[in-house]
Amino acid sequence: MSRWLNHRGGWALIRRTWLSWMQHRSFFFLLAFMWMIPPLVSLFVWSTAAGGATVGGINRGEFVAYYLVLILVNQLTYSQTNWTVGDVIRSGGMNTILLRPMSPIYDALASEIAGKVVYMVFVVPVSGILALILHPELHVTPRNGLAFVPALVLAWALRFFWGYWLALLAFWATRADALLSMQDSLTFLLAGQVAPTALLPGVMRQVATALPFRYMVGFPVEVLTGQLDGPELWTGYAFQTGWLLVAVILFLAVWRAGVTRYSAVGG
Amino acid sequence: MAESRIRVRGLSKTYHVPERESGLVASLKSLVRRTYRDVEAVRDISFTVEAGEMVGFIGPNGAGKTTTLKMLSGLLHPTGGEAHVLGFVPWERKPEYLQQISMVLGNKSQMMWDIPPLDSFLVLGEIYHVAPGDLKHTLDELVELLEMQDLLTKPVRNLSLGERMKCELVAGLLHRPRVLFLDEPTLGLDISMQSRLRRFLAEYNRRSGVTAILTSHYMADVVALCPRVILIHRGQLLYDGELNGLAQRLAPFKLIRISLRDGSVGYDEDMSLPQGVDLVERENGRLTLRVSRAKAPSITAHLLNTLPVADLSVEDPPIEAVIDQIYQGGNV
Repeated sequence: MSRWLNHRGGWALIRRTWLSWMQHRSFFFLLAFMWMIPPLVSLFVWSTAAGGATVGGINRGEFVAYYLVLILVNQLTYSQTNWTVGDVIRSGGMNTILLRPMSPIYDALASEIAGKVVYMVFVVPVSGILALILHPELHVTPRNGLAFVPALVLAWALRFFWGYWLALLAFWATRADALLSMQDSLTFLLAGQVAPTALLPGVMRQVATALPFRYMVGFPVEVLTGQLDGPELWTGYAFQTGWLLVAVILFLAVWRAGVTRYSAVGG
Repeated sequence: MAESRIRVRGLSKTYHVPERESGLVASLKSLVRRTYRDVEAVRDISFTVEAGEMVGFIGPNGAGKTTTLKMLSGLLHPTGGEAHVLGFVPWERKPEYLQQISMVLGNKSQMMWDIPPLDSFLVLGEIYHVAPGDLKHTLDELVELLEMQDLLTKPVRNLSLGERMKCELVAGLLHRPRVLFLDEPTLGLDISMQSRLRRFLAEYNRRSGVTAILTSHYMADVVALCPRVILIHRGQLLYDGELNGLAQRLAPFKLIRISLRDGSVGYDEDMSLPQGVDLVERENGRLTLRVSRAKAPSITAHLLNTLPVADLSVEDPPIEAVIDQIYQGGNV
Protein backbone atom coordinates (compact mmCIF):
# COMPACT_ATOMS: atom_id res chain seq x y z
CA MET A 1 0.00 0.00 0.00
CA SER A 2 2.80 2.38 0.84
CA ARG A 3 4.02 2.23 -2.74
CA TRP A 4 0.76 3.78 -3.85
CA LEU A 5 1.87 6.94 -2.08
CA ASN A 6 4.28 8.32 -4.58
CA HIS A 7 4.91 11.95 -3.70
CA ARG A 8 7.89 12.21 -5.98
CA GLY A 9 5.83 11.19 -8.98
CA GLY A 10 2.89 13.26 -7.77
CA TRP A 11 4.94 16.42 -7.55
CA ALA A 12 6.33 15.78 -11.03
CA LEU A 13 2.77 15.39 -12.34
CA ILE A 14 1.79 18.71 -10.79
CA ARG A 15 4.67 20.48 -12.48
CA ARG A 16 3.91 18.85 -15.81
CA THR A 17 0.22 19.70 -15.64
CA TRP A 18 1.04 23.25 -14.70
CA LEU A 19 3.48 23.60 -17.61
CA SER A 20 0.86 22.23 -19.94
CA TRP A 21 -1.87 24.51 -18.64
CA MET A 22 0.24 27.61 -18.81
CA GLN A 23 0.16 27.02 -22.57
CA HIS A 24 -3.55 27.74 -22.40
CA ARG A 25 -3.54 30.39 -19.73
CA SER A 26 -5.87 32.70 -21.64
CA PHE A 27 -8.50 29.95 -21.67
CA PHE A 28 -8.18 29.45 -17.93
CA PHE A 29 -8.18 33.19 -17.31
CA LEU A 30 -11.44 33.36 -19.22
CA LEU A 31 -12.91 30.56 -17.09
CA ALA A 32 -11.78 32.33 -13.93
CA PHE A 33 -13.39 35.53 -15.20
CA MET A 34 -16.67 33.69 -15.84
CA TRP A 35 -16.67 32.28 -12.33
CA MET A 36 -16.21 35.77 -10.91
CA ILE A 37 -19.36 37.14 -12.51
CA PRO A 38 -22.13 35.72 -10.25
CA PRO A 39 -20.45 36.85 -7.01
CA LEU A 40 -19.74 40.24 -8.60
CA VAL A 41 -23.41 40.65 -9.48
CA SER A 42 -24.35 39.79 -5.89
CA LEU A 43 -21.70 42.24 -4.66
CA PHE A 44 -23.22 45.12 -6.61
CA VAL A 45 -26.81 44.20 -5.70
CA TRP A 46 -26.16 43.95 -1.97
CA SER A 47 -23.83 46.92 -1.66
CA THR A 48 -26.37 49.05 -3.53
CA ALA A 49 -29.19 47.71 -1.35
CA ALA A 50 -27.24 48.60 1.78
CA GLY A 51 -26.56 52.14 0.52
CA GLY A 52 -25.59 54.30 3.46
CA ALA A 53 -27.29 51.97 5.97
CA THR A 54 -27.09 48.23 6.72
CA VAL A 55 -28.95 45.07 5.60
CA GLY A 56 -29.17 42.42 8.31
CA GLY A 57 -26.47 44.27 10.21
CA ILE A 58 -24.03 44.33 7.27
CA ASN A 59 -23.03 47.68 5.72
CA ARG A 60 -21.91 48.46 2.17
CA GLY A 61 -18.17 48.13 2.81
CA GLU A 62 -18.71 44.84 4.61
CA PHE A 63 -20.71 43.45 1.69
CA VAL A 64 -17.85 44.41 -0.62
CA ALA A 65 -15.37 42.69 1.68
CA TYR A 66 -17.60 39.59 1.99
CA TYR A 67 -17.91 39.18 -1.77
CA LEU A 68 -14.29 39.92 -2.60
CA VAL A 69 -13.21 37.25 -0.12
CA LEU A 70 -15.90 34.98 -1.54
CA ILE A 71 -14.51 35.43 -5.07
CA LEU A 72 -11.11 34.22 -3.84
CA VAL A 73 -12.53 31.36 -1.78
CA ASN A 74 -14.80 30.29 -4.62
CA GLN A 75 -11.86 30.09 -7.00
CA LEU A 76 -9.66 28.29 -4.51
CA THR A 77 -12.27 25.66 -3.69
CA TYR A 78 -13.82 25.24 -7.14
CA SER A 79 -12.85 21.82 -8.40
CA GLN A 80 -12.52 22.06 -12.14
CA THR A 81 -10.89 18.61 -12.14
CA ASN A 82 -14.24 16.97 -11.57
CA TRP A 83 -15.42 18.10 -14.98
CA THR A 84 -12.72 16.11 -16.75
CA VAL A 85 -13.12 12.83 -14.84
CA GLY A 86 -16.00 11.72 -17.06
CA ASP A 87 -14.02 12.45 -20.22
CA VAL A 88 -11.03 10.52 -18.92
CA ILE A 89 -13.24 7.51 -18.22
CA ARG A 90 -15.06 7.64 -21.55
CA SER A 91 -11.98 8.27 -23.69
CA GLY A 92 -10.00 5.37 -22.26
CA GLY A 93 -7.51 7.70 -20.59
CA MET A 94 -8.23 5.73 -17.42
CA ASN A 95 -6.07 2.94 -18.87
CA THR A 96 -2.96 5.10 -18.73
CA ILE A 97 -3.76 6.16 -15.19
CA LEU A 98 -4.45 2.62 -13.96
CA LEU A 99 -1.19 1.32 -15.45
CA ARG A 100 0.93 3.67 -13.36
CA PRO A 101 2.45 2.42 -10.12
CA MET A 102 0.84 5.21 -8.12
CA SER A 103 -2.55 6.11 -6.72
CA PRO A 104 -4.81 7.65 -9.39
CA ILE A 105 -5.72 10.42 -6.93
CA TYR A 106 -2.41 12.09 -7.82
CA ASP A 107 -3.69 12.88 -11.29
CA ALA A 108 -6.68 14.68 -9.86
CA LEU A 109 -4.59 16.48 -7.25
CA ALA A 110 -2.07 17.48 -9.89
CA SER A 111 -4.67 19.19 -12.04
CA GLU A 112 -6.30 20.72 -8.92
CA ILE A 113 -3.10 22.29 -7.66
CA ALA A 114 -1.83 23.27 -11.09
CA GLY A 115 -5.22 24.81 -11.85
CA LYS A 116 -5.29 26.86 -8.65
CA VAL A 117 -1.94 28.39 -9.42
CA VAL A 118 -3.02 29.37 -12.94
CA TYR A 119 -6.32 30.87 -11.72
CA MET A 120 -4.71 32.80 -8.91
CA VAL A 121 -2.35 34.49 -11.37
CA PHE A 122 -5.51 36.08 -12.77
CA VAL A 123 -7.86 36.38 -9.80
CA VAL A 124 -5.56 37.91 -7.21
CA PRO A 125 -4.59 41.00 -9.24
CA VAL A 126 -8.17 41.49 -10.44
CA SER A 127 -9.53 41.27 -6.87
CA GLY A 128 -6.82 43.67 -5.75
CA ILE A 129 -7.89 46.24 -8.33
CA LEU A 130 -11.56 45.80 -7.36
CA ALA A 131 -10.60 46.33 -3.71
CA LEU A 132 -8.85 49.59 -4.60
CA ILE A 133 -11.96 50.81 -6.41
CA LEU A 134 -14.70 49.53 -4.09
CA HIS A 135 -13.20 50.15 -0.63
CA PRO A 136 -14.05 47.00 1.32
CA GLU A 137 -14.28 47.12 5.11
CA LEU A 138 -12.39 44.11 6.35
CA HIS A 139 -10.91 43.90 9.83
CA VAL A 140 -9.19 40.55 10.10
CA THR A 141 -8.48 39.63 13.71
CA PRO A 142 -5.72 37.09 14.45
CA ARG A 143 -8.43 34.68 15.67
CA ASN A 144 -10.42 34.95 12.45
CA GLY A 145 -7.30 34.79 10.32
CA LEU A 146 -6.14 31.60 12.05
CA ALA A 147 -9.61 30.03 12.01
CA PHE A 148 -9.92 30.80 8.28
CA VAL A 149 -7.04 28.55 7.20
CA PRO A 150 -8.48 25.19 8.31
CA ALA A 151 -11.96 26.27 7.21
CA LEU A 152 -10.60 27.00 3.71
CA VAL A 153 -8.65 23.75 3.45
CA LEU A 154 -11.63 21.70 4.62
CA ALA A 155 -13.90 23.60 2.23
CA TRP A 156 -11.65 22.73 -0.71
CA ALA A 157 -11.43 19.07 0.33
CA LEU A 158 -15.19 18.83 0.79
CA ARG A 159 -15.98 20.44 -2.55
CA PHE A 160 -13.34 18.33 -4.30
CA PHE A 161 -14.45 14.96 -2.93
CA TRP A 162 -18.15 15.78 -3.23
CA GLY A 163 -17.72 16.63 -6.90
CA TYR A 164 -15.38 13.69 -7.43
CA TRP A 165 -17.79 11.05 -6.28
CA LEU A 166 -20.51 12.56 -8.44
CA ALA A 167 -18.14 12.67 -11.41
CA LEU A 168 -17.15 9.03 -10.91
CA LEU A 169 -20.73 8.02 -11.63
CA ALA A 170 -19.52 8.36 -15.23
CA PHE A 171 -18.35 4.75 -14.79
CA TRP A 172 -22.04 3.85 -15.11
CA ALA A 173 -23.82 6.78 -16.73
CA THR A 174 -22.49 8.62 -19.74
CA ARG A 175 -23.75 12.03 -18.66
CA ALA A 176 -22.78 12.27 -15.00
CA ASP A 177 -21.82 15.89 -15.75
CA ALA A 178 -25.44 16.90 -15.21
CA LEU A 179 -25.01 16.14 -11.52
CA LEU A 180 -22.03 18.47 -11.40
CA SER A 181 -24.14 21.25 -12.89
CA MET A 182 -26.69 20.60 -10.18
CA GLN A 183 -24.01 20.83 -7.53
CA ASP A 184 -22.96 24.19 -8.99
CA SER A 185 -26.54 25.46 -8.87
CA LEU A 186 -27.02 24.37 -5.28
CA THR A 187 -23.70 25.91 -4.35
CA PHE A 188 -24.82 29.15 -5.94
CA LEU A 189 -28.07 29.16 -3.96
CA LEU A 190 -27.05 27.70 -0.62
CA ALA A 191 -23.34 28.37 -0.19
CA GLY A 192 -23.54 32.08 0.48
CA GLN A 193 -23.16 33.26 -3.11
CA VAL A 194 -26.58 34.63 -3.91
CA ALA A 195 -26.71 36.04 -0.37
CA PRO A 196 -24.72 35.51 2.82
CA THR A 197 -26.27 32.56 4.67
CA ALA A 198 -27.24 34.79 7.58
CA LEU A 199 -29.51 36.79 5.27
CA LEU A 200 -31.40 33.82 3.84
CA PRO A 201 -35.07 33.57 4.88
CA GLY A 202 -35.88 31.20 7.79
CA VAL A 203 -36.33 27.72 6.34
CA MET A 204 -33.75 28.25 3.65
CA ARG A 205 -31.21 29.28 6.22
CA GLN A 206 -31.80 26.09 8.18
CA VAL A 207 -31.53 24.01 5.02
CA ALA A 208 -28.34 25.81 4.01
CA THR A 209 -26.83 25.27 7.45
CA ALA A 210 -27.55 21.55 7.37
CA LEU A 211 -26.50 20.73 3.78
CA PRO A 212 -22.84 20.47 2.71
CA PHE A 213 -22.82 23.38 0.24
CA ARG A 214 -22.35 26.25 2.70
CA TYR A 215 -19.22 24.51 3.98
CA MET A 216 -17.69 24.53 0.51
CA VAL A 217 -17.66 28.32 0.09
CA GLY A 218 -19.68 30.49 2.49
CA PHE A 219 -18.40 29.19 5.80
CA PRO A 220 -14.72 30.17 5.39
CA VAL A 221 -15.82 33.59 4.12
CA GLU A 222 -18.02 34.11 7.19
CA VAL A 223 -15.10 33.06 9.38
CA LEU A 224 -12.67 35.57 7.85
CA THR A 225 -15.14 38.44 7.78
CA GLY A 226 -15.91 37.88 11.47
CA GLN A 227 -19.62 36.99 11.15
CA LEU A 228 -19.43 34.00 13.49
CA ASP A 229 -19.15 33.77 17.26
CA GLY A 230 -17.33 30.96 19.08
CA PRO A 231 -20.11 28.33 19.20
CA GLU A 232 -21.09 29.04 15.56
CA LEU A 233 -17.49 28.55 14.52
CA TRP A 234 -17.18 25.17 16.21
CA THR A 235 -20.55 23.99 14.93
CA GLY A 236 -19.41 25.00 11.48
CA TYR A 237 -16.19 23.00 11.74
CA ALA A 238 -18.19 20.02 12.98
CA PHE A 239 -20.56 20.15 10.02
CA GLN A 240 -17.66 20.66 7.63
CA THR A 241 -15.70 17.70 8.99
CA GLY A 242 -18.79 15.49 9.11
CA TRP A 243 -19.71 16.21 5.49
CA LEU A 244 -16.10 15.75 4.43
CA LEU A 245 -16.10 12.29 5.99
CA VAL A 246 -19.32 11.45 4.16
CA ALA A 247 -17.83 12.70 0.89
CA VAL A 248 -14.61 10.70 1.31
CA ILE A 249 -16.52 7.54 2.18
CA LEU A 250 -18.77 7.98 -0.85
CA PHE A 251 -15.74 8.69 -3.03
CA LEU A 252 -13.94 5.54 -1.89
CA ALA A 253 -17.03 3.37 -2.31
CA VAL A 254 -17.86 4.71 -5.76
CA TRP A 255 -14.21 4.54 -6.85
CA ARG A 256 -13.84 0.89 -5.84
CA ALA A 257 -17.12 -0.14 -7.41
CA GLY A 258 -16.29 1.91 -10.51
CA VAL A 259 -12.85 0.41 -11.07
CA THR A 260 -14.26 -3.07 -10.53
CA ARG A 261 -16.88 -2.36 -13.13
CA TYR A 262 -14.35 -0.77 -15.47
CA SER A 263 -12.10 -3.80 -15.24
CA ALA A 264 -15.09 -6.02 -15.88
CA VAL A 265 -16.28 -4.29 -19.02
CA GLY A 266 -13.07 -2.75 -20.33
CA GLY A 267 -12.22 0.77 -21.37
CA MET B 1 15.15 -23.75 -14.12
CA ALA B 2 13.83 -20.28 -13.44
CA GLU B 3 10.07 -19.85 -13.39
CA SER B 4 8.40 -18.67 -16.60
CA ARG B 5 7.96 -14.92 -16.89
CA ILE B 6 4.36 -15.30 -17.99
CA ARG B 7 2.16 -18.22 -17.05
CA VAL B 8 -1.44 -18.31 -18.20
CA ARG B 9 -3.82 -21.15 -17.45
CA GLY B 10 -7.41 -21.48 -18.58
CA LEU B 11 -7.83 -17.72 -18.92
CA SER B 12 -11.31 -16.62 -19.97
CA LYS B 13 -13.15 -13.36 -20.31
CA THR B 14 -16.83 -12.91 -21.00
CA TYR B 15 -18.24 -9.44 -21.54
CA HIS B 16 -21.78 -8.72 -20.53
CA VAL B 17 -22.84 -6.13 -23.09
CA PRO B 18 -26.11 -4.25 -23.42
CA GLU B 19 -27.79 -4.80 -26.73
CA ARG B 20 -30.46 -2.98 -28.63
CA GLU B 21 -31.62 -2.53 -32.17
CA SER B 22 -31.23 0.81 -33.88
CA GLY B 23 -34.05 3.32 -34.04
CA LEU B 24 -36.16 5.43 -31.75
CA VAL B 25 -38.59 2.72 -30.66
CA ALA B 26 -35.79 0.38 -29.72
CA SER B 27 -34.04 3.11 -27.77
CA LEU B 28 -37.24 3.83 -25.82
CA LYS B 29 -37.71 0.14 -25.15
CA SER B 30 -34.18 -0.12 -23.85
CA LEU B 31 -34.95 2.58 -21.30
CA VAL B 32 -37.50 0.30 -19.72
CA ARG B 33 -35.91 -3.05 -20.18
CA ARG B 34 -32.32 -3.57 -21.16
CA THR B 35 -31.32 -6.78 -22.81
CA TYR B 36 -27.84 -8.12 -22.41
CA ARG B 37 -25.77 -10.52 -24.40
CA ASP B 38 -22.73 -12.45 -23.24
CA VAL B 39 -19.72 -12.15 -25.50
CA GLU B 40 -16.95 -14.67 -24.92
CA ALA B 41 -13.90 -12.61 -25.84
CA VAL B 42 -11.33 -15.09 -24.54
CA ARG B 43 -12.02 -18.77 -23.95
CA ASP B 44 -9.84 -20.97 -21.83
CA ILE B 45 -6.41 -20.10 -23.19
CA SER B 46 -3.16 -21.35 -21.68
CA PHE B 47 0.47 -20.64 -22.50
CA THR B 48 3.78 -19.73 -20.92
CA VAL B 49 6.43 -17.27 -22.01
CA GLU B 50 10.05 -17.57 -20.91
CA ALA B 51 12.45 -14.78 -20.05
CA GLY B 52 13.70 -12.87 -23.08
CA GLU B 53 11.18 -14.34 -25.49
CA MET B 54 9.35 -12.20 -28.02
CA VAL B 55 5.99 -13.74 -28.80
CA GLY B 56 3.68 -12.58 -31.56
CA PHE B 57 0.02 -12.58 -30.72
CA ILE B 58 -1.93 -12.89 -33.93
CA GLY B 59 -5.54 -13.27 -34.90
CA PRO B 60 -8.21 -11.39 -36.82
CA ASN B 61 -10.04 -8.35 -35.45
CA GLY B 62 -12.02 -9.21 -32.37
CA ALA B 63 -10.08 -12.43 -31.76
CA GLY B 64 -9.37 -11.51 -28.14
CA LYS B 65 -5.77 -10.34 -28.46
CA THR B 66 -6.16 -6.96 -26.79
CA THR B 67 -8.47 -8.39 -24.15
CA THR B 68 -5.78 -10.90 -23.22
CA LEU B 69 -3.10 -8.20 -23.08
CA LYS B 70 -5.36 -6.04 -20.93
CA MET B 71 -5.82 -8.90 -18.50
CA LEU B 72 -2.08 -9.52 -18.37
CA SER B 73 -1.38 -5.86 -17.73
CA GLY B 74 -3.98 -5.71 -14.97
CA LEU B 75 -6.56 -3.51 -16.68
CA LEU B 76 -9.18 -6.23 -16.87
CA HIS B 77 -10.41 -8.88 -14.48
CA PRO B 78 -10.81 -12.27 -16.11
CA THR B 79 -14.02 -14.25 -15.70
CA GLY B 80 -12.07 -17.44 -15.24
CA GLY B 81 -8.62 -18.98 -15.11
CA GLU B 82 -5.40 -17.68 -13.73
CA ALA B 83 -2.32 -15.79 -14.80
CA HIS B 84 1.01 -15.00 -13.22
CA VAL B 85 3.42 -12.47 -14.64
CA LEU B 86 6.76 -12.12 -12.83
CA GLY B 87 5.09 -14.01 -10.02
CA PHE B 88 2.29 -11.45 -9.62
CA VAL B 89 -1.39 -11.79 -10.32
CA PRO B 90 -1.74 -8.90 -12.79
CA TRP B 91 -5.25 -7.70 -11.95
CA GLU B 92 -4.33 -7.18 -8.31
CA ARG B 93 -2.45 -4.21 -9.79
CA LYS B 94 0.23 -4.13 -7.12
CA PRO B 95 2.53 -1.13 -7.58
CA GLU B 96 5.51 -3.50 -7.39
CA TYR B 97 4.07 -5.28 -10.43
CA LEU B 98 3.16 -2.18 -12.43
CA GLN B 99 6.67 -0.88 -11.77
CA GLN B 100 8.15 -3.80 -13.74
CA ILE B 101 5.88 -3.94 -16.76
CA SER B 102 4.89 -1.68 -19.57
CA MET B 103 1.93 -1.67 -21.91
CA VAL B 104 2.28 0.33 -25.09
CA LEU B 105 -1.06 0.85 -26.76
CA GLY B 106 -0.80 2.03 -30.35
CA ASN B 107 -3.93 4.12 -29.99
CA LYS B 108 -3.53 5.52 -26.47
CA SER B 109 -1.08 8.08 -25.26
CA GLN B 110 1.16 8.57 -22.28
CA MET B 111 2.32 11.88 -23.66
CA MET B 112 0.91 15.23 -22.72
CA TRP B 113 -0.27 17.05 -25.78
CA ASP B 114 0.99 20.56 -25.18
CA ILE B 115 4.46 20.05 -23.84
CA PRO B 116 7.61 18.60 -25.40
CA PRO B 117 8.17 14.83 -24.99
CA LEU B 118 11.24 15.44 -22.86
CA ASP B 119 9.07 16.95 -20.10
CA SER B 120 6.73 13.95 -20.15
CA PHE B 121 9.73 11.60 -20.02
CA LEU B 122 11.11 13.36 -16.96
CA VAL B 123 7.76 13.04 -15.19
CA LEU B 124 7.63 9.32 -15.99
CA GLY B 125 11.14 8.99 -14.60
CA GLU B 126 9.87 10.46 -11.33
CA ILE B 127 6.72 8.31 -11.26
CA TYR B 128 8.79 5.16 -11.74
CA HIS B 129 11.53 6.33 -9.37
CA VAL B 130 14.29 6.07 -11.95
CA ALA B 131 17.54 7.56 -10.67
CA PRO B 132 18.44 10.68 -12.70
CA GLY B 133 21.70 9.13 -13.94
CA ASP B 134 19.94 5.95 -15.11
CA LEU B 135 17.19 7.99 -16.71
CA LYS B 136 19.66 9.98 -18.74
CA HIS B 137 21.52 6.86 -19.76
CA THR B 138 18.36 5.02 -20.84
CA LEU B 139 16.97 8.06 -22.58
CA ASP B 140 20.19 8.61 -24.52
CA GLU B 141 20.23 4.98 -25.57
CA LEU B 142 16.59 4.93 -26.70
CA VAL B 143 16.83 8.26 -28.47
CA GLU B 144 19.87 7.07 -30.36
CA LEU B 145 18.28 3.76 -31.33
CA LEU B 146 15.15 5.51 -32.58
CA GLU B 147 17.02 8.42 -34.16
CA MET B 148 14.79 11.03 -32.56
CA GLN B 149 17.15 13.64 -31.09
CA ASP B 150 15.33 16.48 -32.79
CA LEU B 151 11.88 15.48 -31.51
CA LEU B 152 12.57 15.88 -27.82
CA THR B 153 11.84 19.58 -27.56
CA LYS B 154 8.90 19.95 -29.96
CA PRO B 155 5.40 20.00 -28.47
CA VAL B 156 3.78 16.59 -28.93
CA ARG B 157 0.86 18.03 -30.88
CA ASN B 158 3.28 19.10 -33.62
CA LEU B 159 4.65 15.57 -34.10
CA SER B 160 3.57 13.16 -36.81
CA LEU B 161 1.91 9.83 -36.01
CA GLY B 162 5.17 7.91 -36.42
CA GLU B 163 7.08 10.40 -34.31
CA ARG B 164 4.49 10.12 -31.57
CA MET B 165 4.76 6.34 -31.66
CA LYS B 166 8.51 6.64 -31.13
CA CYS B 167 7.76 8.79 -28.09
CA GLU B 168 5.26 6.23 -26.78
CA LEU B 169 7.90 3.53 -27.03
CA VAL B 170 10.44 5.62 -25.17
CA ALA B 171 7.81 6.45 -22.53
CA GLY B 172 7.05 2.76 -22.14
CA LEU B 173 10.68 1.71 -21.82
CA LEU B 174 12.20 4.45 -19.65
CA HIS B 175 11.80 2.45 -16.45
CA ARG B 176 13.36 -0.60 -18.08
CA PRO B 177 10.38 -2.92 -17.73
CA ARG B 178 11.07 -6.63 -17.51
CA VAL B 179 7.88 -7.48 -19.35
CA LEU B 180 6.52 -5.51 -22.26
CA PHE B 181 3.07 -5.69 -23.84
CA LEU B 182 2.89 -4.07 -27.25
CA ASP B 183 -0.53 -3.61 -28.78
CA GLU B 184 -0.29 -2.67 -32.46
CA PRO B 185 2.93 -0.67 -32.10
CA THR B 186 3.19 0.00 -35.84
CA LEU B 187 -0.46 0.91 -36.42
CA GLY B 188 -0.84 3.51 -39.13
CA LEU B 189 2.88 3.95 -39.81
CA ASP B 190 4.50 4.02 -43.23
CA ILE B 191 6.66 1.15 -44.41
CA SER B 192 10.03 2.66 -43.56
CA MET B 193 8.89 3.79 -40.11
CA GLN B 194 7.52 0.29 -39.49
CA SER B 195 10.79 -1.33 -40.39
CA ARG B 196 12.73 1.14 -38.28
CA LEU B 197 10.55 0.38 -35.25
CA ARG B 198 10.98 -3.33 -35.87
CA ARG B 199 14.75 -2.99 -35.97
CA PHE B 200 14.55 -0.98 -32.79
CA LEU B 201 12.43 -3.56 -30.98
CA ALA B 202 14.65 -6.43 -32.07
CA GLU B 203 17.75 -4.56 -30.98
CA TYR B 204 16.18 -3.51 -27.70
CA ASN B 205 15.12 -7.08 -26.98
CA ARG B 206 18.64 -8.32 -27.70
CA ARG B 207 20.26 -5.69 -25.48
CA SER B 208 17.88 -5.70 -22.55
CA GLY B 209 16.55 -9.25 -22.57
CA VAL B 210 13.03 -7.93 -22.12
CA THR B 211 10.19 -10.43 -22.39
CA ALA B 212 7.58 -9.19 -24.81
CA ILE B 213 4.20 -10.04 -26.24
CA LEU B 214 3.29 -8.16 -29.37
CA THR B 215 0.02 -7.95 -31.25
CA SER B 216 -0.02 -6.73 -34.78
CA HIS B 217 -2.05 -6.89 -37.93
CA TYR B 218 1.10 -6.55 -39.97
CA MET B 219 2.56 -10.00 -40.46
CA ALA B 220 5.86 -8.35 -41.34
CA ASP B 221 6.10 -7.22 -37.70
CA VAL B 222 5.62 -10.74 -36.50
CA VAL B 223 7.94 -12.29 -39.09
CA ALA B 224 10.70 -9.83 -38.22
CA LEU B 225 10.40 -9.99 -34.46
CA CYS B 226 8.76 -13.14 -33.20
CA PRO B 227 10.25 -16.59 -33.66
CA ARG B 228 7.18 -17.85 -31.83
CA VAL B 229 3.56 -17.00 -32.47
CA ILE B 230 0.33 -17.61 -30.62
CA LEU B 231 -2.67 -17.59 -32.88
CA ILE B 232 -6.05 -16.93 -31.38
CA HIS B 233 -9.34 -16.85 -33.16
CA ARG B 234 -12.77 -16.25 -31.65
CA GLY B 235 -11.15 -16.22 -28.24
CA GLN B 236 -9.57 -19.64 -28.60
CA LEU B 237 -5.94 -20.57 -28.91
CA LEU B 238 -5.46 -22.29 -32.25
CA TYR B 239 -1.71 -22.52 -32.48
CA ASP B 240 1.29 -21.93 -30.29
CA GLY B 241 4.72 -22.56 -31.75
CA GLU B 242 7.28 -21.49 -34.29
CA LEU B 243 6.17 -19.17 -37.02
CA ASN B 244 7.54 -21.55 -39.67
CA GLY B 245 5.63 -24.39 -38.14
CA LEU B 246 2.41 -22.48 -38.54
CA ALA B 247 2.65 -22.64 -42.31
CA GLN B 248 3.74 -26.24 -42.28
CA ARG B 249 0.98 -27.33 -40.03
CA LEU B 250 -1.80 -25.15 -41.18
CA ALA B 251 -1.26 -24.83 -44.91
CA PRO B 252 -1.99 -28.15 -46.57
CA PHE B 253 -0.20 -27.15 -49.76
CA LYS B 254 3.19 -26.10 -51.12
CA LEU B 255 4.17 -23.78 -53.93
CA ILE B 256 6.36 -25.02 -56.73
CA ARG B 257 8.07 -22.28 -58.73
CA ILE B 258 9.55 -23.22 -62.06
CA SER B 259 11.58 -21.23 -64.57
CA LEU B 260 11.69 -22.79 -68.01
CA ARG B 261 14.68 -22.73 -70.34
CA ASP B 262 14.71 -19.87 -72.83
CA GLY B 263 12.79 -20.54 -76.02
CA SER B 264 11.25 -23.73 -74.75
CA VAL B 265 7.55 -24.27 -74.84
CA GLY B 266 5.99 -24.64 -71.43
CA TYR B 267 2.54 -25.63 -70.44
CA ASP B 268 0.37 -23.81 -72.90
CA GLU B 269 -3.02 -22.62 -71.94
CA ASP B 270 -4.62 -25.64 -73.49
CA MET B 271 -2.27 -28.16 -71.93
CA SER B 272 -3.69 -29.89 -68.96
CA LEU B 273 -1.81 -29.98 -65.70
CA PRO B 274 -1.29 -33.19 -63.76
CA GLN B 275 -4.14 -33.90 -61.41
CA GLY B 276 -3.95 -32.08 -58.09
CA VAL B 277 -1.91 -29.18 -59.46
CA ASP B 278 -3.30 -25.64 -59.61
CA LEU B 279 -1.69 -22.97 -61.70
CA VAL B 280 -1.35 -19.88 -59.53
CA GLU B 281 0.60 -17.64 -61.85
CA ARG B 282 2.40 -17.76 -65.20
CA GLU B 283 4.63 -15.05 -66.53
CA ASN B 284 7.41 -15.10 -69.12
CA GLY B 285 8.19 -18.74 -68.82
CA ARG B 286 7.88 -18.79 -65.05
CA LEU B 287 5.17 -20.82 -63.43
CA THR B 288 3.89 -20.94 -59.90
CA LEU B 289 1.96 -24.09 -59.06
CA ARG B 290 0.09 -25.11 -55.94
CA VAL B 291 0.13 -28.74 -54.95
CA SER B 292 -0.90 -30.64 -51.90
CA ARG B 293 1.86 -31.12 -49.38
CA ALA B 294 1.78 -34.91 -49.66
CA LYS B 295 2.02 -34.95 -53.43
CA ALA B 296 4.78 -32.32 -53.71
CA PRO B 297 7.69 -34.79 -54.10
CA SER B 298 6.08 -36.94 -56.80
CA ILE B 299 4.80 -33.96 -58.76
CA THR B 300 8.19 -32.28 -58.57
CA ALA B 301 9.78 -35.41 -60.03
CA HIS B 302 7.15 -35.54 -62.74
CA LEU B 303 7.71 -31.90 -63.69
CA LEU B 304 11.48 -32.35 -63.84
CA ASN B 305 11.04 -35.29 -66.18
CA THR B 306 8.53 -33.71 -68.53
CA LEU B 307 9.54 -30.06 -68.75
CA PRO B 308 12.67 -28.15 -69.84
CA VAL B 309 13.24 -26.83 -66.31
CA ALA B 310 15.97 -24.24 -65.76
CA ASP B 311 15.22 -23.70 -62.12
CA LEU B 312 12.78 -25.18 -59.61
CA SER B 313 11.99 -24.45 -56.00
CA VAL B 314 9.47 -25.85 -53.56
CA GLU B 315 8.28 -23.40 -50.91
CA ASP B 316 5.80 -22.94 -48.15
CA PRO B 317 3.14 -20.44 -49.09
CA PRO B 318 3.64 -16.87 -47.82
CA ILE B 319 2.55 -16.52 -44.25
CA GLU B 320 -0.04 -13.89 -45.17
CA ALA B 321 -1.82 -16.38 -47.38
CA VAL B 322 -1.89 -18.97 -44.61
CA ILE B 323 -3.15 -16.49 -42.06
CA ASP B 324 -5.79 -15.20 -44.43
CA GLN B 325 -7.00 -18.72 -45.01
CA ILE B 326 -7.28 -19.33 -41.26
CA TYR B 327 -8.95 -15.99 -40.54
CA GLN B 328 -11.53 -16.66 -43.21
CA GLY B 329 -12.05 -20.30 -42.50
CA GLY B 330 -12.04 -19.95 -38.75
CA ASN B 331 -10.50 -23.32 -38.07
CA VAL B 332 -7.27 -25.18 -38.41
